[in-house]
Amino acid sequence: MAEPRSWRDGAVRLTTLPLIAIFGAFFLVPLVMTAVLSFQGTQYYRLVWTWDLKIWRDVFSQWHYWSIMLRTLSMACICTALCILIALPVAYALVTRLKDWADHVTLLIVFAFLTDAVLKTFGWVLFLDRSGVLNGMLEGLGFGKAALDVLFSPFATMIGMVYSLLPYAIFTIALSMARIDRDLVLAAYDSGASRWRTLREVTLPLARPGIVAGAVLVFVLSLGVFLEPRVMGGGTSPMAAELIRQSFETRVNWPLGAALTLVVIVIGALSLALFGGLALGAGRRARA
Amino acid sequence: MRKRGLIDFLLPASVVVVLVFFYIPIATLVLFSFTSSRFLSWPIPGFSLRWYGELLADRNFWAALTNSAVLAAVATVLATTLGILGAFAWMRWRFRCQRAFQVLTFAPLLFPQLLLGVVMLLWFSVLAGWLNTSPGLWSAVIGHVVYITPFAIVIVSVQMYGFDTSLEQAAEDAGASRWQVLSQVTLPLLWPGIFSALIFAFLLSWGNFYITYSLSGSARTLPTYVFSGIAVGSSPIYPALATLTFAPALVLIVIVDVMRRRAARRRAGA
Repeated sequence: MAEPRSWRDGAVRLTTLPLIAIFGAFFLVPLVMTAVLSFQGTQYYRLVWTWDLKIWRDVFSQWHYWSIMLRTLSMACICTALCILIALPVAYALVTRLKDWADHVTLLIVFAFLTDAVLKTFGWVLFLDRSGVLNGMLEGLGFGKAALDVLFSPFATMIGMVYSLLPYAIFTIALSMARIDRDLVLAAYDSGASRWRTLREVTLPLARPGIVAGAVLVFVLSLGVFLEPRVMGGGTSPMAAELIRQSFETRVNWPLGAALTLVVIVIGALSLALFGGLALGAGRRARA
Repeated sequence: MRKRGLIDFLLPASVVVVLVFFYIPIATLVLFSFTSSRFLSWPIPGFSLRWYGELLADRNFWAALTNSAVLAAVATVLATTLGILGAFAWMRWRFRCQRAFQVLTFAPLLFPQLLLGVVMLLWFSVLAGWLNTSPGLWSAVIGHVVYITPFAIVIVSVQMYGFDTSLEQAAEDAGASRWQVLSQVTLPLLWPGIFSALIFAFLLSWGNFYITYSLSGSARTLPTYVFSGIAVGSSPIYPALATLTFAPALVLIVIVDVMRRRAARRRAGA
């Protein structure tokens, strides 16, 4: 279907050059600039062109930054695990059991996904608050006042993160499960495999590219969450994005902000490269 | 048929639980938008439409609404146009360095949005210094385009997957010019995908907080208006705003679904 063409072809130029110009000028150039900026310094809230490694030494030597980075990483790992665990049965049910309803369910998830994130986190605050809907209902059931006081804790942050990233996991896994050849599953049944064994030895391995892709996507995006720790976590346990925002806005230390941004980007890129390769390899092996 | 076990109950139940989970905050907002009290606590003392009135009387709300509409309209048109171009370059041909092109045009989707915004802000501050302006809606438009275009490319590419090029060939053989083939055969066939991309892009831009927050300078859109509002103190006007914006979004998404289904039926019939 894809026809080989050269760069001299007018249509190829017409379709690629505008995109290259925009993504080059407003995506690549800013990335390079961030890298350059991280080697400069500040004095009296002003940028000084020093070209040294001072900021990088600070970033790696101060426990404060390490602790926030480690918290970000562990929150991202927990969030990824939860999203995959929840998404697996949901995607499986959508693809194999609920064929007539799958479209409507997908539509409902897409609508929730596309709704303004600020409003959604605010909705969670109203629900989880000490005097919110959840505690009001629990009180009605006889559990006493403010039975579940979870708002403004890392637990609430985690609810918010899973909430906003779960659709990515559901859609990538459902997509890879929908492409599994139904005959392979039926063949496994015919040769006497139990349902559990078929799931474990046929369906899950074949869906692995989707599972890995979903996990990487959730992990990388969860490194940058800001609204959830701020609004639902109450700012009590800041994560990397909050630290970056503070170094730009409150401390007006742009080189520091640039260096911290790069740390997160590099962690994300490394996990993408690592697991992306894994997903591709798994896909190739599954097809072979 | 195998006998029905616990699993046949658990799997559909997991879908129901997840849907409830997704709609908890949304339902909470709708509920609180009709409260008569100024405090957002449960149980609601009585129902009223008072907060809708207060919201509509707030001049900042109208300014934010206008900004959101302008930003989303411009970003949608640009991102979808680029998305169509990108989908052609992704799917129709093979050329040298195509992999690199695909990575470049897909990468922003893999970026945490706040970081994308911050990185672009650094560059826009420099640019604005040279051009003697400051970041504002214009930089937010560019930010939204960079963030949303990869989504548009993916959506149009999905429509392009399995595209029957023999139809174009037939039109060309019948003497149609390249432009006629494009406008009368190719684009109409891709229309369901383009339409979904338009709606998706609009809603992504409309609800975007992170990139607007980093790049829009002092201009406020609805999400940043709500963010700065709830930072100062919660008020029932925000649930009212949420409920007002849910309705049109829901209508748009249902339209997309109906279109997609009709296109699928036509394809199955053909």
